[in-house]
Amino acid sequence: MKTLTFIAIVLSAGAIAGVILAALNQGVVEPYLERAIELENKAAAAEGEIINPTEYAAYRFWQKGGSIAGGAVLGLSYGALFGLVFAYARSAIPGSNNLKKALLLSGIMWFVLYLVVAIKYPANPPAVGDPATIYVRQSLYMAMIAISGFTALGMAVLYRKMHSKSRKFIVPAIYAAIIAVAFVALPPNPDPITAPMDLVMGFRVASAITMTVFWVVLGAIVGVFWDKLKPHETARIKAA
Amino acid sequence: MHCDTMSFSEQITRAAEGVPKIAVGILLGVLVFGIFMMGFDQGHLFSVAQGDQAYGDMWMHEFYHDMRHAAGFACH
Repeated sequence: MKTLTFIAIVLSAGAIAGVILAALNQGVVEPYLERAIELENKAAAAEGEIINPTEYAAYRFWQKGGSIAGGAVLGLSYGALFGLVFAYARSAIPGSNNLKKALLLSGIMWFVLYLVVAIKYPANPPAVGDPATIYVRQSLYMAMIAISGFTALGMAVLYRKMHSKSRKFIVPAIYAAIIAVAFVALPPNPDPITAPMDLVMGFRVASAITMTVFWVVLGAIVGVFWDKLKPHETARIKAA
Repeated sequence: MHCDTMSFSEQITRAAEGVPKIAVGILLGVLVFGIFMMGFDQGHLFSVAQGDQAYGDMWMHEFYHDMRHAAGFACH
């Protein structure tokens, strides 16, 4: 394997997909964030807090810059993970080219690491969330990602070891059973929803749309780069 | 000669199928550090230089605030 090419492909694909995610969020998710922050500020002002509008606007500008940087960092991280899984699993994934293989894997990883987790612990806008419960909520979120991710990994190994045709039903059924147990066993998000429900639901849908686009774009870029640069091949040895 | 060629090509195949340990290490490092910094840090990283003040300022939390919400991570 061409190590540097491999690392460069997955990290650049991740960074590009992450920046695209952040740019999309500016148009799709930010309006909900702004509405929620406005509610937060009104509540703070009602309690006597004085907010300087000019300073606050500058602060939000800084945070929006952070959101672009955050997209890049998230993209690099998920790109790294995606690249590792793809490098190990590529030969076993069905598909006539690497683009198709990468898109199939990114669909699976979107389902396992995003959708399943978001169903148990959906995203919340600002104005929802008690700072006192942050560590509990972070632990629960991480636990759900870990359970779903490692179960899927185990299922992939099991799928390769089983040779009967029934594996197509048995393996997803075991995954579903373990996730169902986790959904019941893990406590719900401890915070009450204090923002209007239409705002919360609108935000969740917007967030789900851009995260879905992120995973598709990540898979597509890795697939295209992989087909072009073929990092799995060792350097060709020229005949003397 | 024929035998040499066989074992040589076998070696190439084997080398081509594995993922170099250095790549695994670098990418796992990027994954763990990146996800922690973007999605979980509550002042931990800056506390190395800033001490307990960092847990009050929470620079990373504030900087990545919008993306934490948008990507579904716990925030606030």
